[in-house]
Amino acid sequence: MSISVINNQHKNRLGKIIGIYLLLSAAAVAVDQIYGLFSHGVDSAAMTWMFLYPLLGGAFYYFIFGKLIPDLAQRPGFRLLLNLHSSGIGTLTAASFLQGVFEIAGTDSPHLTYYYGIGIVFIIAGFVILAGICQNRSFNSGKPGPKEEQP
Amino acid sequence: MFKFLAKPYRWAILYSVVLIAAMAFTLLDTFVLPKALAAVPKASTSTRTDPSSEEIFPDNPEDSEESSSEPVITENSYEDENIKITIETIRKHNTTIYVADIRVSDPSYLKTAFADNVYGRNITAKTSDIAEENNAIFAINGDFYGFRDAGYVLRNGVAYRDTARSRDNDALVIDADGNFSVVSEGEISLDKLSDMGAWQVFSFGPALVVDGELTVDSSSEVTRSMASNPRTAIGQISPLHYIAIVSDGRTRESAGLSLLELAQEFLERGCTIAYNLDGGGSSTMYFNGEVINKPTSGKRISERAVSDIVYIGY
Repeated sequence: MSISVINNQHKNRLGKIIGIYLLLSAAAVAVDQIYGLFSHGVDSAAMTWMFLYPLLGGAFYYFIFGKLIPDLAQRPGFRLLLNLHSSGIGTLTAASFLQGVFEIAGTDSPHLTYYYGIGIVFIIAGFVILAGICQNRSFNSGKPGPKEEQP
Repeated sequence: MFKFLAKPYRWAILYSVVLIAAMAFTLLDTFVLPKALAAVPKASTSTRTDPSSEEIFPDNPEDSEESSSEPVITENSYEDENIKITIETIRKHNTTIYVADIRVSDPSYLKTAFADNVYGRNITAKTSDIAEENNAIFAINGDFYGFRDAGYVLRNGVAYRDTARSRDNDALVIDADGNFSVVSEGEISLDKLSDMGAWQVFSFGPALVVDGELTVDSSSEVTRSMASNPRTAIGQISPLHYIAIVSDGRTRESAGLSLLELAQEFLERGCTIAYNLDGGGSSTMYFNGEVINKPTSGKRISERAVSDIVYIGY
């Protein structure tokens, strides 16, 4: 397989991931707007701004790191990074949604702490994997590393 | 295991299922699953005659509980030896407002009750059902303590929750003489209030009138609520003389009141202190066996199940 084909596959893969996150951001905005129709004019910052998690934490994150590490998607460990980081973003977005629901209703829940905590743990774990990916030399040395499954 | 999860989308699907299940449980736990935390002793009916009440109830014999003569009941009023209630319905601010003028001969006739007579989270019943179970002559919804995990709860002399809310929120204290006062939850503990003789403590707010002065303005609102809402509030004019106001709202007929408009109603009637209770779909006024306002539940006129009520009765 030629390098240009590999590079195109990499770009396509990252582009697909970024596109999914952009869709999720749009979905978060839609959820906030639709929920607002039924909340008797009450709003919540947590609900309003929850789209920032997939937008900044997802689309922007992979866009930046895709530029900094051009072959990021091809490196060993990328699947694990993607899984951990996405789990963190998903959990934080869910926490923000629930917090918004509770604030609009005027109630609370002790469970929210666990959502935010687990989300942050996943994000940190993702950064640890990312650091490991950056130090992976097997790909840079020209030797083929473990083949990453294509989505 | 790792090979299984390494396949595309498997982790995403598995984690999504777990996350959705967790969210469903959290929502159920917060809004639906009842948790009984304490049984409630029957409310005390001991009476403490206040000399100032003799002017309103001159023939009230000492230590009486139930009225010995038949009450005089009309569509808008109730009067017996110990309790006098007059209901006035007015239209203001494009809203129907129900004002109850309440006079009692003894503070023990001003009571509270929990849904199903149980203290806990998500234990609710309609205001009218709770009122009927407690033989209430008059009732309004309370502070819906069961919707939150914080905020002082002390009813009929028994303390149930001593966790203050996170911000400097106002709590309404009714002492054993039936006198109202407002405290900041962050500045005094429930134990201290109990030691000082608090008989009822409510945690919703804000205070509307304190020492005869408005304590809200046009920008005041309950957390993130909209400006016009159905409202429930209670105030005191003088010893054993109270005003309870419930307004409709969120309908074509009634827009609802802002906190300032609500506070002004109490001030105009001479209240020296007034306090906002749970509003919105909870706002309910019960009198002589009927719900007399139009509580909204979503798009329909129907009562919402609530945690607690404030009522007048024997």
